[in-house]
Amino acid sequence: MVLNGVDKMSQLQKNTANIRNICVLAHVDHGKTTLADCLISSNGIISSRLAGKLRYMDSREDEQVRGITMKSSAISLHYAEGNEEYLINLIDSPGHVDFSSEVSTAVRICDGCIIVVDAVEGVCPQTQAVLRQAWLENIRPVLVINKIDRLIVELKFTPQEAYSHLKNILEQINALTGTLFTSKVLEERAERETESQVKTHSEQGDQVYDWSTGLEDADDSQLYFSPEQGNVVFTSAIDGWGFGIEHFARIYSQKIGIRKEVLLKTLWGDYYINMKAKKIMKVDQAKGKKPLFVQLILENIWSLYDAVLKKDKEKIDKIVTSLGLRIGAREARHSDPKVQINAICSQWLPISHAVLAMVCQKLPSPLDMTSERVEKLLCTGSQTFESLPLETQALKAAFMKCGSEDTAPVIIFVSKMFAVDAKALPQNKPRPLTQEEMAQRRERARQRHAEKLAGAQGQAPQGSTQDGGALLASPQGDEPRGDEPDVASVSPQPVPQEESSQEAFIAFARVFSGIARRGQKIFVLGPKYSPVEFLQRVPLGFSAPREDLPPVPHMACCTLESLYLLMGRELEDLEEVPPGNVLGIGGLQDFILKSATLCSLPSCPPFIPLNFEATPIVRVAIEPKHPSEMPQLVKGMKLLNQADPCVQVLIQETGEHVLVTAGEVHLQRCLDDLRERFAKIHISVSEPIIPFRETITKPPKVDMVNEEIGRQQKVAVIHQTKEEQSKIPEGIHVDSDGLITITTPNKLATLSVRAIPLPEEVTQILEENSDLIRSMELLTSSLNEGRNTQALHQKTQEKIWEFKGKLEQHLTGRKWRNTVDQIWSFGPRKCGPNILASRSEDFQNSVWSGPAGRESKEAGRFRDFGNSIVSGFQLATLSGPMCEEPLMGVCFVLEKWELSKCAEQGSSDKQNQEECDPTGEGQEEGKTCPSGSENQEQQDSHSEETSAKGESPVTDCYGPFSGQLIATMKEACRYALQVKPQRLMAAMYTCDIMATSDVLGRVYAVLSKREGRVLQEEMKEGTDMFIIKAVLPVAESFGFADEIRKRTSGLASPQLVFSHWEVIPSDPFWVPTTEEEYLHFGEKADSENQARKYMNAVRKRKGLYVEEKIVEHAEKQRTLSKNK
Amino acid sequence: MSIFTPTNQIRLTNVAVVRMKRAGKRFEIACYKNKVVGWRSGVEKDLDEVLQTHSVFVNVSKGQVAKKEDLISAFGTDDQTEICKQILTKGEVQVSDKERHTQLEQMFRDIATIVADKCVNPETKRPYTVILIERAMKDIHYSVKPNKSTKQQALEVIKQLKEKIKIERAHMRLRFLLPLNEGKKLKEKLKPLMKVVESEDYSQQLEIVCLIDPGCFREIDELIKKETKGRGSLEVLSLKDVEEGDEKFE
Repeated sequence: MVLNGVDKMSQLQKNTANIRNICVLAHVDHGKTTLADCLISSNGIISSRLAGKLRYMDSREDEQVRGITMKSSAISLHYAEGNEEYLINLIDSPGHVDFSSEVSTAVRICDGCIIVVDAVEGVCPQTQAVLRQAWLENIRPVLVINKIDRLIVELKFTPQEAYSHLKNILEQINALTGTLFTSKVLEERAERETESQVKTHSEQGDQVYDWSTGLEDADDSQLYFSPEQGNVVFTSAIDGWGFGIEHFARIYSQKIGIRKEVLLKTLWGDYYINMKAKKIMKVDQAKGKKPLFVQLILENIWSLYDAVLKKDKEKIDKIVTSLGLRIGAREARHSDPKVQINAICSQWLPISHAVLAMVCQKLPSPLDMTSERVEKLLCTGSQTFESLPLETQALKAAFMKCGSEDTAPVIIFVSKMFAVDAKALPQNKPRPLTQEEMAQRRERARQRHAEKLAGAQGQAPQGSTQDGGALLASPQGDEPRGDEPDVASVSPQPVPQEESSQEAFIAFARVFSGIARRGQKIFVLGPKYSPVEFLQRVPLGFSAPREDLPPVPHMACCTLESLYLLMGRELEDLEEVPPGNVLGIGGLQDFILKSATLCSLPSCPPFIPLNFEATPIVRVAIEPKHPSEMPQLVKGMKLLNQADPCVQVLIQETGEHVLVTAGEVHLQRCLDDLRERFAKIHISVSEPIIPFRETITKPPKVDMVNEEIGRQQKVAVIHQTKEEQSKIPEGIHVDSDGLITITTPNKLATLSVRAIPLPEEVTQILEENSDLIRSMELLTSSLNEGRNTQALHQKTQEKIWEFKGKLEQHLTGRKWRNTVDQIWSFGPRKCGPNILASRSEDFQNSVWSGPAGRESKEAGRFRDFGNSIVSGFQLATLSGPMCEEPLMGVCFVLEKWELSKCAEQGSSDKQNQEECDPTGEGQEEGKTCPSGSENQEQQDSHSEETSAKGESPVTDCYGPFSGQLIATMKEACRYALQVKPQRLMAAMYTCDIMATSDVLGRVYAVLSKREGRVLQEEMKEGTDMFIIKAVLPVAESFGFADEIRKRTSGLASPQLVFSHWEVIPSDPFWVPTTEEEYLHFGEKADSENQARKYMNAVRKRKGLYVEEKIVEHAEKQRTLSKNK
Repeated sequence: MSIFTPTNQIRLTNVAVVRMKRAGKRFEIACYKNKVVGWRSGVEKDLDEVLQTHSVFVNVSKGQVAKKEDLISAFGTDDQTEICKQILTKGEVQVSDKERHTQLEQMFRDIATIVADKCVNPETKRPYTVILIERAMKDIHYSVKPNKSTKQQALEVIKQLKEKIKIERAHMRLRFLLPLNEGKKLKEKLKPLMKVVESEDYSQQLEIVCLIDPGCFREIDELIKKETKGRGSLEVLSLKDVEEGDEKFE
């Protein structure tokens, strides 16, 4: 059935000039896979009758079910034209946006691409995207306008209408190409300009500004698609036909007697033929003359369709005979007109011929790789080719030459890793048995039989039964698979990971230069590898064996274990692969994560990273259904990460396993993969946990209806007065300006704490310098121990002073006087964005003072208790009063703290006894304390404080004193917060959206619906694309990408990156108080309060008390079962 | 045709009775279900949403209204609404299904949150999520006891969960500073209590940094104090030894 065996293929692979590496690109559902089917059927791999229905390249089950392609897969085809035999490595790619990463992997290893466009739908968003991708990779496109049959059958166009429709589509595509071209030219010009500006600066000479855009000079004639250039083909893949202008030009030049060259130029375009004069003239629209294309080509096809659809037997026969075709009796009698059309057309205008001929003629072979492309592949980021080391520059020649000599360096690019079932690998596949094998088996069976007989007779000695057992065991394992290691087999060894997992990873790769041989040692260069680094570390002209090389980051050495010819869902073993071919490589899964460059020379730079159109943005949290299956999940996610070029997998600090995918369909596929292939467990998917921060603000000046607060006399009935008081329990004194004074339960210590919001800049500085703060903390604690650590690093010291200076600069004004010097600690975790400052007179523990302050003996009085205070502060900042989320941007000022005599006595006593060695005292959690139930809460909170430092001899019925102090400090901080206007802070994404001007409005609608804010919008020069920059709360981002894609039919694609924390302006506890507010918001006013919505959601999630009515309307729950 | 509709009879359905005994008499009021707890916690502020009728009864189900004299003798007023409020805040309540349900659910969540907060997966040193813990708690059929503190229950849950999934209390990182001569002896005693010893340094003093189970903290603390007679010291370096930051799979 298969016309070409592996041998033939490997023969063809050697002729580099006749290799074409192409991929099929298009919008979803424009017929890529169907087209691929048709091309495959020309090789006899599938029946031509099934072409278009089988979708051979869609080997996954869900691909078949959903009817969309989800991965790119390659197949090698043979095509002969005249004497030339071509090898075509065809890669089918998915069209759905979510899988555009797969397109990227395909485009990278091709030299040309077929762009397929639906004749009815025309240019679609993904068509634009793939064109751009092809453009960026510098590969040459050809155009296939597919589904022409739909124009005839569905739209019922006349040939004339169809012609103008096709012309339209072509214009659209050319316009797109033009845009890409102009934007590139403009970019280049901009670069030139910046360069020249640099020059002018240095020269200071007068310069005449060059107003020309550079567009005029740039040659773009080769760029556009046009049938007369032969890079456009009209097809109907489902009916199996297709043609280029050339085909008809050849026919009609014989028939009409006009030169082929003339016809080639005029068959497309507004020309008509004057039959009498046998002349071709320019069309004069007024005369209603039909263009050549309509008259000579379309009308013929139309009449054929017409005849078949009307079942006009005679006419069909006439056409068939006139075309010189032979239609099988079965097809001719078939009642479905589709079958007949297929039968006739696929003979008359075979699609594979039309397309493959165009591919072979118009697309470059690996030998014709442009130097521009090579340079682009090798230069990462802003590097220029000239800046690369000389050894690397030398490689360019190898690329261009694509040589297959043994001296040529081997360069392979792996664009993705894909998982195959280990059973599908050729070495594990059942193979038809050879004569010899069968003989062997027979022999063994006979032996076994004999032994059995012997055993049954009971004469067998013990040894032989054992022997028999062993023999029995081995054939049992082997027989069903028909694959035995001892039998002469090509595979040297089974894949090692076979036992552990049933998935084997195969690298999807292409040889750019040199011959890849099985068993060859080769360097694996990760994306971050730099040849410069290698050349620095390794002396030139090294000759040591490769294993002995010093370790260079992102580089490894491995063996090419097995090479495969990719044949769609099949794999064929190969011994060696000559340059310019697409191949699969096995056994690299431990070396390569997703993509890599393989090279025999270490001077090769890694190729530029794949250019992904869609970055992963849909985040979900994944958990196993059964908690005990966690390890399988983690393992599965790792495999998935390797198998998919575009997926991101991470564990968050909260312990969540997060999967980031490009879109909903992609997500679905990833989940299916996890469930069925990689993890094989049940998993549940949920929205990821959204973090918040709590903070306080200055009291607002205006109320919710923008009335100034305070001036109003007519304050409506106030519910809150009662509420306010109820929040703060008895025994705590609150000043009018928010100073909280609180005493420990045993009345020994009194603390006065005030909370002040930090300016935004300060918070930012603290955030940025958290590492510095942490190292400061480590330093002071080690010095505190009295140990002499290594001297403070000069640089760190400088940094600390700089940091302090910055803080001082921003904390100005009366309120903040000296605050910087009074900083005692940062929190939470001792390095967070909150400050504890102490204003008591004998305060000496400032973070700046370092060891000196701490060492002094006078501080001893407070020191042990100081630790408790800091611990209390740390706990308070770790979980705020609103929803137990960490605080941010709050400064707690400890105005004063007093210890009554007794406590001091105790502490000094202790000092005498224990020579001020701070020893810890903690409570074993959960142990019921001896104290009464009324301080259960206190007990609870300080039993948590196992960090309790400072020994307390004053243990009373309230537990150890240090614990009490921690709890009291924590409470004080919480109340200090509660008397201030509290606010939630939401995590924000910055969101970059690329959108065309016509969907701009919808983008804005989606953004504003999700509380997003547009920061700026810019038009991209030379295109009609807008770049919109917006910020969006993380809490609202779930499903955002999907929504925006749906609303804009895929024309806008967002990218989300976490940027900062932002205060949500609304007060979560706000209720209307003034008359105006009542009028405006009504009494409940809980519908619009975003902050409260978030707060309650978090509280509910954590099982905290939520102020929510269980039943909203008491009357409505009444059961009216009895009719009374 | 006319249908007899008794206009002087108000039938109450969906009643939750709140009782109170005062001056030797029992008083009852008729409230809506699922509303009394809300009133007490201050979520519900509208009295009419709580009370079915403002009258005070002796027996709600029989419809016997309390006598005026009784009310005055018991409450000192005959303002029915005021008395209703008093009974609402102080009387004994029937907790209705939804109220109980939300309370239990809240406690369940709370327990799961505490467990998730205290524990880690020993393999990855990362916490489990609350949802996962909740699911595991359901798997072991843990039933919440409403009169026990959530914290105590959380500790019980951890013990039970250990049999089911790989979970462990997040370790505490401690540093001991022990005098050299007693150090060695003490170390032997401390050994069973320490999970992981991260560093040991015998310079002037024996310094050990180690991870322990938070449950043994008190024991260790007492041991050190007793053995070294106050010369050894112990410092808590971190309460929870967990991985920080996000980790990407690469």
